Amino acid sequence: MDTATIRVTRYRPEKGPEPFFQEYKVPYRNDMVVLDALNYIKANLDGTLTYRWSCRMGVCGSCGASVDGTPKLTCASFLHEFKGRTITIDPLPNFPVVKDLVVNMEDFMEKLVRIKPWIIREKETPPEQGEYKQSAEELERYQQFSSCINCMLCYSACPIYGLNEKFLGPAATALAYRYIEDSRDQGRNVRFPIVHEMEGVWECTLVGECSVVCPKGVDPMLAIQKTKILGATNAIRSILMPRGGR
Amino acid sequence: MTENKSFPELRRKLNPGWWTANRHYVQYMVREWTSLFVALFSLVYIYGLSLWVTGSRSAFLNLLKNPATIAFSFIALVFTLYHAVTWFYLLGQVVPIKIGKTTSKPWQALVANLILMLIVSYLVIWLLVLR
Repeated sequence: MDTATIRVTRYRPEKGPEPFFQEYKVPYRNDMVVLDALNYIKANLDGTLTYRWSCRMGVCGSCGASVDGTPKLTCASFLHEFKGRTITIDPLPNFPVVKDLVVNMEDFMEKLVRIKPWIIREKETPPEQGEYKQSAEELERYQQFSSCINCMLCYSACPIYGLNEKFLGPAATALAYRYIEDSRDQGRNVRFPIVHEMEGVWECTLVGECSVVCPKGVDPMLAIQKTKILGATNAIRSILMPRGGR
Repeated sequence: MTENKSFPELRRKLNPGWWTANRHYVQYMVREWTSLFVALFSLVYIYGLSLWVTGSRSAFLNLLKNPATIAFSFIALVFTLYHAVTWFYLLGQVVPIKIGKTTSKPWQALVANLILMLIVSYLVIWLLVLR
């Protein structure tokens, strides 16, 4: 068994206002990930270490942290990839830290709700009339954007969000776009004012790191630019065409 | 009952050197800064044109012949090309074209746009100079 040196940024507000580093030595096998190391520390070395986790297999999106400077799911980062180096683990950047690796997610949760992540119909048809049908092509237009697991890695990788937390940001816009592009949805006029407000999609300057760090292969950068294009063409149409091109 | 006591959260500010943290951020920053040279070149050119239209054509030609202008134009050309190439590539990423079942790749958009740029540049030169 090899031994990994893990350097964790600790923040224990009940002890003092300054964060500090703490190093742990963790024996590991080749199939162990950073989350396993954190669990080993918690069980054997230091029970006070605080972090979030749940599924251990890249589905729940709870265990995100900055691993060696890059936002990652700790359950998907193998320890052997850092062989011979100290692995630095910080709480997800751009979010306020509650304790150790636990960050405050409230801002993100509020943004998710703000874009109304559900199918909006102008008039609901009764269930007896059957489901709202969709072709495979129509599904393909938004499917990748529905794979988001709300792990917030994209927000941690986004310097725009880091500089201005009012920015709607990658995951929330990707989810908005997922519904905007859904053929069953009729809520464009409700969502457009939300995504196109000052701190909506137009704040994005295409850094693109959100799409690089996404563990589920979602491309939020693309969703944001597509939303910009939709908004711009919509605005032009409403000026040029009679009755706003409707 | 335990006392419900809340502790302050740790708010971290983005370090001014954040863009040096990884290769992608650096590339982004270079892409954005090169646009400055596009703007500067435009300003120099507008100034030159203003000389031309106000009648001091020799002053305009002298400005163009000035080694400093030539050096600056060369640097501006390199940066403008870098800026154009990165944006053409991004264009391919953001608006891929679907033909049948195949979707265009970003590098294809880059090549197509570069060719288009050469054609348009040639047309402009032809209209203004060669014709």
